[in-house]
Amino acid sequence: MTDDHSYWYLASYPKSGNTWCRVFITELMRLAGDNPGEELNLNQDIETGAIASSRLWLDDQLGINSCDLSFSELDPMRGRAGASAWLFAEGERFHKVHDAFKSPDSRGRPVVSTTGCSGVVYILRHPEDVAVSLSHFFSWPLDRCVDSLLDPSAALVSGERFGGHQVRQYMGRWDQHVRSWADQTQLPVLIMRYEDMLSKGSEIFTELATFLGLPTDSKLIDQALENTSIDRLKKLEDNVDGFAEKPAGCERFFRSGRTGEGAEQLSIKQRKRLANGLSEAMNRFQYEGPGLD
Amino acid sequence: MIKPHRYCALGAEISSDLVLPELTVSESTSNALVQIQQGDHRQWPSLEPSPHSTPILQLAPQDWRLELEGIGWFRATGGERLEWQRWDDSVSDRDIRTFAVTSGLGALAIQRGALVLHGTALEREGEAILLLGHPAAGKSTLAWCLLQEGWHLLSSELVAVGSDGIVQPGMHQLKLWYDAAVTLELDYAQLPTVRKGLKRYALLTEELTCMPQPTPLRLIYALNRAKEKSGKEDDTEAEDEKEKISLKTSRNFSQTTALMRLRNQAFHARMYRGMDAEAQLFMQAAALARTVPLHALIVPDGIKAMAESLKKVDLMQPESMQQRKESKEEDASND
Repeated sequence: MTDDHSYWYLASYPKSGNTWCRVFITELMRLAGDNPGEELNLNQDIETGAIASSRLWLDDQLGINSCDLSFSELDPMRGRAGASAWLFAEGERFHKVHDAFKSPDSRGRPVVSTTGCSGVVYILRHPEDVAVSLSHFFSWPLDRCVDSLLDPSAALVSGERFGGHQVRQYMGRWDQHVRSWADQTQLPVLIMRYEDMLSKGSEIFTELATFLGLPTDSKLIDQALENTSIDRLKKLEDNVDGFAEKPAGCERFFRSGRTGEGAEQLSIKQRKRLANGLSEAMNRFQYEGPGLD
Repeated sequence: MIKPHRYCALGAEISSDLVLPELTVSESTSNALVQIQQGDHRQWPSLEPSPHSTPILQLAPQDWRLELEGIGWFRATGGERLEWQRWDDSVSDRDIRTFAVTSGLGALAIQRGALVLHGTALEREGEAILLLGHPAAGKSTLAWCLLQEGWHLLSSELVAVGSDGIVQPGMHQLKLWYDAAVTLELDYAQLPTVRKGLKRYALLTEELTCMPQPTPLRLIYALNRAKEKSGKEDDTEAEDEKEKISLKTSRNFSQTTALMRLRNQAFHARMYRGMDAEAQLFMQAAALARTVPLHALIVPDGIKAMAESLKKVDLMQPESMQQRKESKEEDASND
């Protein structure tokens, strides 16, 4: 082990650019390393750290089978599951989180450990585009995706009728999710909009590298960005014959990465529903809707 | 004073103030090696801080503590004593024993020097197989299907294997989720839930055929679920369709790979590390890897497909289920 036990969370609503961010971090570290040989292998190299909802990780921390706990027992424990500097393996310091910072079951506590945590990068994306991306990822109709973004009880792996490799991850409405991370005061937070990551890559990813204490050499940042462009990621996904994080039925994980697809593909009615339900957070983060009546 | 209940599990005679229907009742009148009894956590001496401890799981050599908020406190010491205390009066015996007979007895068995693995062991015709897999891997569902094919349950969730390669009877209970219970056409409404409010059902000895005798281990299988192919592949060939619904095994893993798999399936690696028993784990896993073959078992996705596929194979004959493409061995080991 090195002396550096610090760890971070990469938090986001699903399909908001979290994986791109993780791939970028991996690539930046690879390029800054002593031997940046061949290109990135998506299925071998982006082990930046376990997802915070991993059942395997939680069971190891708790020393029990978490399937034997109800959501209302597990959620308050999750934040205490690993409150030591030794909880994460060396090199695995950037942990993906899709949970909201707190859940209705967590008794007001964060569902992630905050002790020893250096901070959180919160990535958000226009909810209209999230809806389209969710639709491709889960093979859901767009209406269902809009419903989900507006659902105060929305969660991943929410079923109580089967186990799974991840525990239930409460998200709530999209705007609740955003506020839960953006407004919490227990961890330093860097908020990044997906749209800015695309349009102002050098600037935003330099901020990211600075925040995470990673190399900030502009050549390295630009090279890492070039190597993790959507076209490159599509090619890398082809190289490994399917990205391991892609669900069954989803043709490819890295699909278009464009902004504005929601405005093109959602109906005016669907866009208005999102704008009506999420207006405060959309305004706060400069996301435009269709214009309300 | 109420006479304690007597059981035999994981190679130890147990005396318990809790009724433990998951364990085999013992008629022995000799002194019990393990005592399970109510305690008072405020009387427990504090432990030295350990890098392996978490706020919930506190560890030291020969000392294991678990604090589950809203449920209770547990302590296993010296391989001989398991104490428990309810969080409050709303906590039922069932809540306590859910954690006492799994993590608690597992910790005691590690302290007693056993090799304890995450897995389920079954017996047929005097020989045992061990199904390895983390929680939610499908071990219990597969075990239930095997019981319908004439196998007997030796232990579920955790399995203790002696240095002589003998599997000790342990947990005589299968826990099935609602979806599995419905698919397997069990009358779940008649079954007790694992704990109040959970959609997870407990099948105890009266619903199971169990093996109460220690049994030599013949084969170890590491469970892998077959992944569905992505839409872009053309799976029209009948042979491919057949493959998707067949149970398959890999070739026997090399000893090194088998050792790694066994270590990774230790019943809570953190507990081994925190109780200073990692060297013991390594030696025992290496010995087991030398003497008992370990194969990956690729199980069809879907409970019905799994149950059907079992009817066509003999798990005592791994060669008969070997994949056509040997190159898949590495895939199968990629957990």
